[in-house]
Amino acid sequence: MIRTALKTVFAHKLRLALTAMSVMMGVAFIAGTFIFTDTIDETFNDLFDDLFAGQDVIVQGETEIDVGFSGPPPMDAGVLDLVLAVPGVDAAEGSVGGLAIIYDKEGEAIVPTGPPTIGGSMTDDLRLAGNVELRDGRVPETATEVSIDAKTATDNNIVVGDVVKIQSPMEVAEYEVVSTIGFGESDNLAGATFAGFELATAQRLFDLEGQYSSIVVIAQEGTSPDLLRNSIASVLPEGVEAVTAADEADAQSEVLSESLGFLQTALLVFALVAVFVASFIIQNTFRIIVRQRQKELALMRAVGATGNQVVWMVVIEAIIVGAVASIIGIAFGFVIAQGLTSVLSAVGFDLPSTTAPLATRTIVVGFAVGMGVTVAAAVLPAIRAARIPPVAALQDVDVRLRMSDRRRTIIGSIVLVVGIALIVNGLFGDILDLGPLNELTAIGAGALMVFLAVSMLSSLIVKPFAQFLGWPLPSIDNLTGTLAIENSVRKPRRTATTASALMIGLALVAFFFILGDSIKASAGAAIEEGLRADYVINVDGFSGGFSPVLGNTLDEAPEIEATTSLRFGFWDRDGSDEFLMGIDSETVDQTIFLGVTAGSTEILGQGGVMVHEDIVDGEGWVVGETIPMGFATTGRQQVELVGTFTEAGVVQANFLIGMGFYEENFKGVGTDVDFVLAVKAAEGVPGETSRAVVEAAAADYANVTVRDQAEYRKSQEDQVNQLLVIFNALLILAVIIAVFGIANTLALSIFERTREIGLLRAVGMSRRQIKRMIRWEAIIVAIIGAVLGIVVGLFFGIVVTAALGAQGIDVLSIPAVQILGLVVFGAIAGLAAAMFPARRAAKLNILEAISYE
Amino acid sequence: MTTTQATSTGAVAARIDSGTKTYGQGDTEVRALDGVTAEFESGRFTAIMGPSGSGKSTLLHCVAGLDVLSDGRVFIGDTELGALNDKDLTLLRREKVGFVFQAFNLIPTLTARENVLLPLLIAGDDHDEAWFDQVVGILGLEDRLTHRPSELSGGQQQRVAAARALVSRPAIVFADEPSGNLDSKSAAELLDFMRRAVKEFGQTIVMVTHDPVAASYSDRIVFLEDGKIVDELHDPTPDSVLDRMRQFGA
Repeated sequence: MIRTALKTVFAHKLRLALTAMSVMMGVAFIAGTFIFTDTIDETFNDLFDDLFAGQDVIVQGETEIDVGFSGPPPMDAGVLDLVLAVPGVDAAEGSVGGLAIIYDKEGEAIVPTGPPTIGGSMTDDLRLAGNVELRDGRVPETATEVSIDAKTATDNNIVVGDVVKIQSPMEVAEYEVVSTIGFGESDNLAGATFAGFELATAQRLFDLEGQYSSIVVIAQEGTSPDLLRNSIASVLPEGVEAVTAADEADAQSEVLSESLGFLQTALLVFALVAVFVASFIIQNTFRIIVRQRQKELALMRAVGATGNQVVWMVVIEAIIVGAVASIIGIAFGFVIAQGLTSVLSAVGFDLPSTTAPLATRTIVVGFAVGMGVTVAAAVLPAIRAARIPPVAALQDVDVRLRMSDRRRTIIGSIVLVVGIALIVNGLFGDILDLGPLNELTAIGAGALMVFLAVSMLSSLIVKPFAQFLGWPLPSIDNLTGTLAIENSVRKPRRTATTASALMIGLALVAFFFILGDSIKASAGAAIEEGLRADYVINVDGFSGGFSPVLGNTLDEAPEIEATTSLRFGFWDRDGSDEFLMGIDSETVDQTIFLGVTAGSTEILGQGGVMVHEDIVDGEGWVVGETIPMGFATTGRQQVELVGTFTEAGVVQANFLIGMGFYEENFKGVGTDVDFVLAVKAAEGVPGETSRAVVEAAAADYANVTVRDQAEYRKSQEDQVNQLLVIFNALLILAVIIAVFGIANTLALSIFERTREIGLLRAVGMSRRQIKRMIRWEAIIVAIIGAVLGIVVGLFFGIVVTAALGAQGIDVLSIPAVQILGLVVFGAIAGLAAAMFPARRAAKLNILEAISYE
Repeated sequence: MTTTQATSTGAVAARIDSGTKTYGQGDTEVRALDGVTAEFESGRFTAIMGPSGSGKSTLLHCVAGLDVLSDGRVFIGDTELGALNDKDLTLLRREKVGFVFQAFNLIPTLTARENVLLPLLIAGDDHDEAWFDQVVGILGLEDRLTHRPSELSGGQQQRVAAARALVSRPAIVFADEPSGNLDSKSAAELLDFMRRAVKEFGQTIVMVTHDPVAASYSDRIVFLEDGKIVDELHDPTPDSVLDRMRQFGA
C-alpha cells in the first residue's frame, strides 16, 4: 500500500507540489513566527544576562502590583548606608534612571522607533557597571558632562569632546560628551539610545533627588549572592527588597517575554488564517485527485483491495505530502522570520536581526500543523474514495460522491447560525455563558465557522452568481467568455471552495478596512467635538513623552490662555492592567470637552477618579463610593469615584485622575512626563502669532510635533493607517496561498478537460484564445471570492464596530472605494493565478489531447 | 434542396507527397508512414482503410495539419503545411478544414447549436443562416439545437459533429472512424448524410475507417499497410471491399 501511494505521489509530482506549496506556506508562517519571537527573546535574554554581569545583589523598591510601563518605585537614598553596613558587601552604589533624549548636531531628536530613549547614572567603579564598557574617554564627573552609547555616537557623527543637547524630564540642556560606551560586544542596548550622567546630576534631571531607582551590590570574595541577599534583606526597610542579580535578569527578560507573548499570539493568529486557507486548497486538491483517479481506485477495488486499503492509500499520500511540506515549511520559516523583521522595521520598529535559533517546539508544532492539516483534509475525500464501487472501473460513469445539496444547505445553515451566534455572543457578551471558552477564542471559532458555512453554501449559488458576474463577458469576448463562464460553474463545489479560500483573506482585509475607517471617523468626530484647544503637542514615534518644562514655558507666554498636560499610566483593576490618564484638572475644561455628567473637574483636582459613564453604569457604581485601584509604586488603595464623563475621544482613557494624584502614584515610574499637551491660545491672538509662540517653545523639544486640530486629526488617522498596513501585510500570505489554490484547481480542471481543449484547438481555436478562456475563468472565480469576502467582511466589520461603541468607536464608516478596490484586486489575483495554467493549456499537443483518456 | 452539383471537378483538395512519419529513434524507430504519395480530389468521398497500425490515422492527422511529417510535403489546396507556423496552421484548420472524430466531438458546456457553429464562433464570423438551416435540416437536428451534448444520443452527437464540420463550408472534411461508436442504424444515417454532402453540395471528405460497410459509402478507397499505400478501389460496395480485404489476408 505504501509503495503504491509513493508511486502515485511521484506520478503526480506537479499537482502535489502545488498542494504542498500551500501547506508549506502556512507552516512557514507558523515556524517563522516562532523563530522570529525566539530570536527577539534570546536577544533580550542575552542582553539582560550581560547587563547584570559581575553584579551579585540588586536592591530596589518593592511592588506587589505588576502593571505595564512600570518599574519598581524609587527608594530613599539612606538605604545605601544600611546596605553598605551589611557584612559581606564588598561594594554598593545607588543609581537612577529615566527618560533622556539625545539630540543630533542639527538639533533633531534621536528617537528610535520601538526601543526606548534611556538615561541613567554612571558609576566609576567598573565592577558595578555590569557589561558597560568605556569605549573611549572617561566617566562623567560634572553636571555638564555626559557619556553616550557608541551606536548613537557613530550614527550621528558625535565624538568625544562634542557638545550635544539632551532632553530630560527637568530640562533641555547642553552637555559635553566625555566618553562613548558599549555593552559587552554590542554598541547599544538592543536599539535604545543611552545617556549616562554623573549620579547627582542624574538624580536632579530625573527629579529623584535624595532617591535611588536601585542599588547594585557586589559580594566579598567567598560570599554567596544568595546568602548576601538574605542578610541585606533583613536590614531593609519596608517597601524595599533585595534580589540576586541572576534572578533580576531572569525576571526582567520574563517581563519582556510576556509582552512578546502578545506579539507572538497576534502573529500566530495570522499564521492560522493562512493555514486555514491552505486547508481549503488541500481538501479541494485531494477531492479532485480522488475524482480523477476514480477508475484507478475502482480497479484496485475490483482486484481485491478493501475499502480500508483505499482509504489508507489516499491518507498515506497525504502524510507524504504533509511531511515534505512541513520540512520545507520549517526551513522556509527562517525567510518568513526575516520578512517579519523587515515588515516591522518598514513601519518603524527596529529589531535586532541576529541568527534565529530553531527550537524543538518550532519543529514539533510545524510538523503537527503541516501533517495534521493535510491528513485531516484528505480523510473525507479518502473515505469517499473507498465508497467507489468496483463496477465503476468498467463503466464510464461519474460516481456521485458528494453530499446532496439538501444536506449541504441544512448543515451549512446550522454552521452559519452557530458561527454568527458565537461571534455576537462573544462581542456583546452575557447572552450565553460559555464557561472556560475565552471570548476572543469564541469569536475566532465563530469566524471560522462563518467562513466554512459560506464556503459550503456558496456552492449552491455559484452558478447564478458566475452568470451574473460574467454577464458582460460574452459581449466582450463572445466564445471564450461564454466558455469561461460555463467552465467556472461546471463543478460548483470546486469553484466555491477555491473562491472561498480567497474569500477568507479578502474578508479580513475588508474587515480591517471597515474597522480602521470607523476608528478614524470616530476619532475624527471626537476630536472635532471634544478638542477645544488650538494646538496639540505630542511625541513622534514611540518615545515615551517629553519634559513637562515645555508646558510650564508656554504657561508663561501671554499669547497662551491655558495648557493641559496628559500623562498616561497603567494600574491594576481586579488583576488586569487598566489604562488611565492624569490631567491638569484646572485647565482641562478650557482645552478639552469631557462631557462631565456628575461631579466636576474642580473636584477631581482634589483627588479621586473620574470614570466614563458607560463603565460606571455597567459596574453599577455610584458617585461617592470608593473603588479599589492598584498602583505599582503605592500599592492598593480605595479611591473615591468623584465624577463621570461621556467624551473619552480626546483623552483616550476611561479613567481620569488629577495631576496631583497622578504624581503621588506614578513618581519615578518612567511615564511621569507629558504625553500630550493641549494648548489653548488667548482670546484675540491671531493664529499665526500663537502658532509661532508654540512652535518656538517646542523647538527645543525635538521629539515633539505641534499640530492644530486638523493636523492632529490627520496624525491620528495616519496611526490607524499604519496599523492597517501591518495587518494587510500579514494577510498577504493568506491571499497568496489562495491564489496558488486557484492556480492549482485550474490546472487540475484543465487536466480533466484535456480532450476538450484538444478539440477546440483542432477546430481552429488559437492558443491565445485558449489562454483568454482560462484567464476569464480564473477572474470569475477570483471575483466570486472577492465578492463573498466583501460580504463576510462587511458583516464582521459592522458587528465588531457596533460592539466597540463603548470603546469610543461610535461611528460606522465603510470605505466604499477601498472595498470595491478589492474586486479589482481579486480580478488581478485571478489573472496572476491563471498565468501558469493558461500557458500550460495553450501548449497542449493537440493530437495527444484529443486522444487523451 | 438545391440541384445536384458536379461530382468531381478534377481539382485536388489535398495531397501528400512522399510523406514519411517516424516515431522514436534507432532500434525503437517506428515508421508509421513510409513515403506515401496520394491525392484527395475535390468533391469526392475518399476512405482510407487498413489494419490496426497500418498508419491510416497518422496519414489523416498529417494531411489535416494536426501532426507534422518527418519528411515529405502536405498540401491543402495550394498551401504547403510544412511552411506554416502554429498560428497559421490554426487559422487553416479553422477556415479550410472540418473534423469529425470517433468520440468526444462536442464541447459539453455548449448547446448543440453553439457546437455546430463552433468554428465560426471561434473566428468571430457571422454565419449563413440559410445554409445552417439546410445542414441542420438534413441532419434532423432542428429540435435538438438547444440541448447540451449530454442530452443527445450518440447518433445525434455525431450528427452535430458532422454539421459542425460542414457549416463553415471547409475545403475538406476529415473524419476519423466517425461511425465507430454508433449502432448500425445511426451509423448508416450518418454515413448516408456524409455521402449526400459530397453528392449534393460538392463537399470533399476524407474518412479513416476499418469497417467495410462504412467504407462502401465512399467513392474511392485507399488501402494502407505498414505505412504504405498498397491498393485502391473505386466505387466500392461492401462486397467488393470485403473481397479486396480478403486478398490481403486481413
